[in-house]
Amino acid sequence: MEPIGIFILAMLCQVYSCAANVSDSVERMQYASVAGDEYLQEERLETNLDDKVYFDFDKSTLDAEDKNLLEQYLPEIKKAKIVRLEGHCDERGTREYNLALGERRALEVRDFLIVKGVSGKKIRVVSFGEEKPLKSASNEKAWAENRRVEISLY
Amino acid sequence: MIRFLFVALILVSNSIFSILEIEILKGSDNLSKIAFVPFGVDDGIEESYGRQISRNIEKNMLLFGEFENLPKSEMLSYPSSGNDFYYRDWKVLGVDYSVIGKVNSVNSLGNLNISYSLFNINRRIKLLEGEIVGSEDNIEGISKIISNRIYEEITGLKGIFDTKLAYVINSDADTYQMCISDIDGKNEQILFSSKAPIMSPDWSPDRKKMAYVSFENGLAEIFIQDLQSGERNSIQALGMTNSAPVWSPDGKSLALVVSFSGNPDIFLYSINSKRLIRLTNHYGIDTEPSWSPDSKKIIFTSDRSGSPQLYEINTQSKRKKRLTRDGNYNARGRYFPDGKSIFFVHGNNGNFQIATKKLSSRYIETLTSTSLDESPTISPNGNIIIYATKDGSNGYLGGITLDGKSRFSLPVKNGSVREPAWSPLLN
Amino acid sequence: MNKALTSLNTFFLVLLFLSLIFSIFSIPKLNIDKTQSIRVNFYELIQEEDILFDSSFPKTTVKKETKKTSATDEKIKAAEAAIVSKFKINKLDIKNEISKIKLSKEREDILRVSAIIQARISSIWIKPNSLSESLIAKVSINLAPSGELLNFDLIEPSINSSFNNSILTAMNKMTFFEEVLSLDRKLFEQNFRNFNLVFKSSGEIE
Repeated sequence: MEPIGIFILAMLCQVYSCAANVSDSVERMQYASVAGDEYLQEERLETNLDDKVYFDFDKSTLDAEDKNLLEQYLPEIKKAKIVRLEGHCDERGTREYNLALGERRALEVRDFLIVKGVSGKKIRVVSFGEEKPLKSASNEKAWAENRRVEISLY
Repeated sequence: MIRFLFVALILVSNSIFSILEIEILKGSDNLSKIAFVPFGVDDGIEESYGRQISRNIEKNMLLFGEFENLPKSEMLSYPSSGNDFYYRDWKVLGVDYSVIGKVNSVNSLGNLNISYSLFNINRRIKLLEGEIVGSEDNIEGISKIISNRIYEEITGLKGIFDTKLAYVINSDADTYQMCISDIDGKNEQILFSSKAPIMSPDWSPDRKKMAYVSFENGLAEIFIQDLQSGERNSIQALGMTNSAPVWSPDGKSLALVVSFSGNPDIFLYSINSKRLIRLTNHYGIDTEPSWSPDSKKIIFTSDRSGSPQLYEINTQSKRKKRLTRDGNYNARGRYFPDGKSIFFVHGNNGNFQIATKKLSSRYIETLTSTSLDESPTISPNGNIIIYATKDGSNGYLGGITLDGKSRFSLPVKNGSVREPAWSPLLN
Repeated sequence: MNKALTSLNTFFLVLLFLSLIFSIFSIPKLNIDKTQSIRVNFYELIQEEDILFDSSFPKTTVKKETKKTSATDEKIKAAEAAIVSKFKINKLDIKNEISKIKLSKEREDILRVSAIIQARISSIWIKPNSLSESLIAKVSINLAPSGELLNFDLIEPSINSSFNNSILTAMNKMTFFEEVLSLDRKLFEQNFRNFNLVFKSSGEIE
């Protein structure tokens, strides 16, 4: 438990230092470390698990089924260097709000993994909002498939 | 003095109480009918110039369906100056306004001198008379200037025929283009093309720069692009995600959304000093900021109440006020140019439509009737809204005048079109 | 001196009071509560009846003028009975209610003609769009007994010139108010020789 506590403390420190007006150089460094996606060059780790978690409209909560799937990921994640969580929404509602909602969904998954003992440093979160739908049709079935967080391990 | 007042009061009270007053609240559903008479030409000038100018003016004026035209075949005469203009010729045809004009002369520089007049047939008065000198190869530009003046005279609103529209085209799964074109769809220009999504274009108030979000580096990042040079710079704010940039009315800063470890809040970003000032601080989603025309307030979407609703924050006092209560989805609000009303996306029974609301009233009025309408943008004169909607899997742009009399859609592009942004007026 | 002034003031106060009373009584057939302008609308007229009558009663519309008195009496009696049996309300209340909406023939005529004029002006007035502004303008109308429009005047223009222009344009399309021909001369002289049209941009000005 201890490392998690320290991690959360560190995160809090980061948030506060960001919230205050920080100098230019710090901004860039911070940005680069978050944006750093060199891991994407490496090969993706294959698992035989479903790589998507689905959500209800305008919701970011995980249900029992989702949690069950994520628990199955835990041993796989131990082998991985990076866990990439990509949040998506369906086309309904506004684009910028959906961008935030996609992020919220990915974070919900991240928080669950952290609680289960995965190091936050391993996790990369990104949201595409409604910009990258899996299905382009405008019906309930397509929308349900598009409201997702995609999990990939590297 | 007091005595005088008393007497005046008696008179007034008597006259008010005895006269019948009929209230007229509803207007006609009809549009004003305008006759665009082919412009005459002086000796030695190509006749086609005259016809071209009046046809351009007609096309402009009819662009948003705000007026009806009189077909040329029905005209009884083609007057080109006030001397041969007879009101009765137009009154019998049910015309409300006539536009006539003449291409007068070409000087040694190849410049045309064009005179034009606008008549109100019912009131039997000449509303406007003007002259303009311009080059032969700028007939379109000249026509736009004349169209603006006529439009302003008839409607009392600013003419918008020289404005532009920015939009995003997604032509296939992996091609995104940030485009601008004239408001009539001509002269399309691709500002930026990418294999990753592009979002949220917003014009700088001087119309020289565009701010938008691009995912080219793997996550949402704000760029400012100079339209002249094409130079683009990431503004590199902070946090995980930077999105929804909007220029302040003075063009010196952006309101934008920064998400620090997953909590999106509204910030002000000064372009020169690159400093961020926090405006909201809430664990809910705060996004989609937009400035009031007097730059004192910012409207934004927040789900702090459990569903997305619109709020307004005073940029100085930071005092917040909730603006919408009806329905469980009210998002991406923008102010009207007069600052007294807002327009936004309103979700109702699974339909997402463009709606308006006066700030002084609690009622929401829905403008559109399709079900996946979003990203509304308003003409600088506050009379027309263009928005993105969907037909099957293809996005296209629709438009509506605020009196609801005219609905139109913009010409279909090759691909899915979205996120229209109407440019400001040229100063 | 002071005394003289006070008594003079008292005198004027009394005069004002009297004139107010006088003016209230001098709106002969148009005693419509406290409002000076009438919002007339056919639908409203019909709705008033709908409230009163059970749907099982045949609806008599305003147009039937021949058997007016008896028809009105029957209507009222029937309505009374229906309402009393339905809601068990105090009879006195109902009488008050009915006297409120019981229209004299003259008032009905004025409302009818006003409604037609209102509808006709609405059909030719191309109202400029002004979503946020609350505008109001008053036009005075002067008619000949033939219904001919002798003169109109924008006596109280709004602050918005395109709103004013749209009204002038609409008024210029009018030449005759034929609808006043159906009125008897006395009613015409009292109400329609001179009357005002009040143009409003939205329903929220009050």
